[in-house]
Amino acid sequence: MSSTRAELVREDTVQAMVQHTGDLAPIRNAHILITGGTGFVGTWLTEAITYLNDVHKFGARITLLARNTARLRETAPHLARRKDVALVDSDVRNIRGFDNDVSWIVHAGSTPDNRVYTTDGIKAADTIISGTRAVLDAAIRLPELNGLLHLSSGYVYGPQPAADPQATETSFNGFDSSAVTSVYAESKRIAETLCATYANQHRIRIVHARPYAFIGPYQLLDRPWAINNFIRDGLRGGPIRILGDGATVRSYMYAADMSAWLLTMLVRGQSGMSYNIGSPEGVKLADVAQMVADQMSPTPRVSLPIAGNRTTASTFVPSTARAEEKLGLTPVFDVVSAIRRTVQWHKL
Amino acid sequence: MANILITDPTLRDGNHAISHKLTTAQIAAYCEAADKARIPIVEVGHGNGLGASSLQVGIASTTDDDMLRTAKEHLLNAKLSVHVIPGFATINKDLKRAVDLGVDVFRIGCHCSEADTTQQHISFVRNTGREVWGILMMSHMITPEGLRDEALKMESYGAEAIVIMDSSGHFLPEDVTQRIGELVSRLTVPVGFHGHNNLGMAVANSVAAANAGATIIDATARGFGAGAGNTQIEVLVPVLERLGYETGIDLYGVLDAADLAEREIMPVVPSIKGISIVSGMAGVFSGFAKHVDRVSAEYGLDPRDVFFALGKRQVVAGQEDVIIEVALELAAAKKERK
Repeated sequence: MSSTRAELVREDTVQAMVQHTGDLAPIRNAHILITGGTGFVGTWLTEAITYLNDVHKFGARITLLARNTARLRETAPHLARRKDVALVDSDVRNIRGFDNDVSWIVHAGSTPDNRVYTTDGIKAADTIISGTRAVLDAAIRLPELNGLLHLSSGYVYGPQPAADPQATETSFNGFDSSAVTSVYAESKRIAETLCATYANQHRIRIVHARPYAFIGPYQLLDRPWAINNFIRDGLRGGPIRILGDGATVRSYMYAADMSAWLLTMLVRGQSGMSYNIGSPEGVKLADVAQMVADQMSPTPRVSLPIAGNRTTASTFVPSTARAEEKLGLTPVFDVVSAIRRTVQWHKL
Repeated sequence: MANILITDPTLRDGNHAISHKLTTAQIAAYCEAADKARIPIVEVGHGNGLGASSLQVGIASTTDDDMLRTAKEHLLNAKLSVHVIPGFATINKDLKRAVDLGVDVFRIGCHCSEADTTQQHISFVRNTGREVWGILMMSHMITPEGLRDEALKMESYGAEAIVIMDSSGHFLPEDVTQRIGELVSRLTVPVGFHGHNNLGMAVANSVAAANAGATIIDATARGFGAGAGNTQIEVLVPVLERLGYETGIDLYGVLDAADLAEREIMPVVPSIKGISIVSGMAGVFSGFAKHVDRVSAEYGLDPRDVFFALGKRQVVAGQEDVIIEVALELAAAKKERK
């Protein structure tokens, strides 16, 4: 039983990474650069790589590039003070070059927080599009680059049809490109096309990951996503409020699985290929709320807002068949374990 | 037919009509009556909401603390809501206190094109576990598509319902149908409507809203509210009932509450005076009426001219200081003509 947050994260990292260690040999003694390095994804990737260094003597060096790397000293001080982790403060749009020995890049430098892109869509679009271009311009000058993993989004497919329980990597449905809420998805699509064009013209290896929803330590509970808010409400003692229709279907991959999958995609993914990453296990939000409530003691009440709700059920669940068939990836943690471990981490 | 949730801001919008002079005794009496009538949500406060008592928009005779404490004590079943305009209300000074005093629903409002000013307040309330709605005021001053985008912003910040306000009583039913329809088609949270009666359309507009998919309607006793007043609750409830909507409100109870409000609270029952009609035509916030009357008298102007001039300036709630500026301009022009 872990007694600190860092111990809990390491235990889960071990569990998720153990089957992938052999596949990740190409990053031994490599210099890996991660944009958005101190965010949720970057922090978990750092946990995974430092585990490989500590336990399997990988000798990898990590550079985390972010606008405010001081944040890592607060959220994960055990990572911030490591000698194999370097911190670089920079807006991803202002990148002019990387250290020459960088041989792997994970480009995760943007936020899916819809409050950000609905409020300042121009800046959000610029961060994704100009930021991706800046990373690519720097990447093509690297003499030893082995590969770049571009974190796109499951939103690039557009709204998932109700009859389609899982979206495959070819399930494009289109969306209203003139809507203010389309900024994130549209920018990610443009970024994917930019990557494809750079890969073609400059012959570099680029793999796309299309993330869905995750849950785990380091994710802030004030983010405007259902499960985060359920956990926040539950930790406060409840009630846990369900917005909209409890029939809305989402799926949640645990963060430790996410980092293992992303590293595998970086190293083993086919160039130009896109892979969904997330849990294929769809769950109704009403059930998620109850799962969260079940992790609390005393069990909080699950309720609807006073304002009531509307029947606007939607589905956002990936098919991960490609990741499973091509890369041998399957989640280690189910949604209940993911919630249990996240709640435990927050209580420590 | 769907259920309609009625929110009653008699003790907030009505405060505009009496220059924010509601007393705790009046609040206690009306809350008891509203509670007895099974009105689900009662909104209390200064006309411009929490923390708004000021020289600029009027000093309230009762503090926010006293109003909310009194209301909470006398609402046994109904939920207590507050109107919040970021800028008047701050998180540390006002919202935290209101949470401590037991407010159930925070209705965070802004001018219809400025939803981004509400992000911090909405996020704060969501994190306290209390319910938070987004309110778009002066909603006639933007296109239906623009209104939709601002509503989507509020939804993304965590608002659990979005209410549009026809703050100057400018809409006709088809305007409401178009806007509510647009919101209902794009939002995932419930949508609501708050009407004013400047052109005599408040009840009709509220019905149009319900028919277009709104499930929250604001209405006040005798229409007690700014300018020509709001949608009249004791009329709206039976009208909705006749149309087949459920409100859960007791008819005799709401009739009694309205009688009590007229007797105990209102020096004058709202009526549609010429100035209110002009306000509705000009698309200027109904709450300006008293200020416009006062300033016009001071400068020897026709208040109708002042309202139309304010309409041309596209003033919004909170810009009450512009009334004097406009009056000075009109007075100067008048002097020049002489």
